[in-house]
Amino acid sequence: MALANRDTQTKHRDTRMGTPGQHKNTRPPIASLALLTLTFIGMMTSIFMIFLYVPTDAIEGIPQRIFYFHVPIAWIGMLAFGVLAVASIGYLWKKDERWDWLARASAEVGTIFITLALITGSIWGRTTWGTWWTWDARLTTTLILWFIYIGYMMLRGYMGRTPASARSGAVLAIVGVIDVPIIYESVNWWRTLHPQAEVGTPGALPPEVVLTLMISLVTFTLLYSFLMVQIYQLQKMQALAQQLHADIE
Amino acid sequence: MQGFIYLVSAYAIVWVGLFAYLAVIMMRIRGVRTELAAVQELVREQQEKPTTS
Repeated sequence: MALANRDTQTKHRDTRMGTPGQHKNTRPPIASLALLTLTFIGMMTSIFMIFLYVPTDAIEGIPQRIFYFHVPIAWIGMLAFGVLAVASIGYLWKKDERWDWLARASAEVGTIFITLALITGSIWGRTTWGTWWTWDARLTTTLILWFIYIGYMMLRGYMGRTPASARSGAVLAIVGVIDVPIIYESVNWWRTLHPQAEVGTPGALPPEVVLTLMISLVTFTLLYSFLMVQIYQLQKMQALAQQLHADIE
Repeated sequence: MQGFIYLVSAYAIVWVGLFAYLAVIMMRIRGVRTELAAVQELVREQQEKPTTS
């Protein structure tokens, strides 16, 4: 919420028009540069650990290394929907457009990540299960989340940047977020092919595996934060441009 | 060998996908900045009109 808080001070200045300083306010903050640097360092470290540090899995072999990218990407896909739902509640409660910018940003980034999670999962499934896709509970619930994301993006795209669009999107996000805990618990509730969460279970995974996964998780969370800052800034500029257009007309 | 191909394919898809998305974001930001500058110029011209006439 740091983004929303920081923008509170500039909101009124931004919605006035024509001052040269205003354009400067739409430039990405220094935080985005810091996030990009940290993401780059984290990504380099992750790649080094995935390919050179972590031992090869005795059963699955080399393709098991997909796990170190697949799990963080899927985690971001779910986290982004959580952020989308919280921002949607914030919008319905406060009726502040900045919550909607946050929601739209999270939906966009989340759609990319959940798509990549399905693709990497499918490739991993091909190597371990011998099939690209199976109607397993975890896979099916994740596919449902992908459809919810796509539905949200289509709805917002179709309705444009209006309060009705923001309200409809918020309702869809709040209803859709129910799928996130179902995805998480699906491996416990139903008999599935998908591996269960073993992180946190003592002795289930070697320490090198846990460390590599944690670094990869942090790195992808930083990447998500960086992308969020970019899209939030984009939303802000688009809203400003739309308002200026309306003022001229 | 086939396992290695799957691994490389998965990582390549992720990297190409993320870089492509980043490139699209940068292009969109540049486009909106240009649009914003043009609209601000229009607004400035409109604000100056009453004072000059």
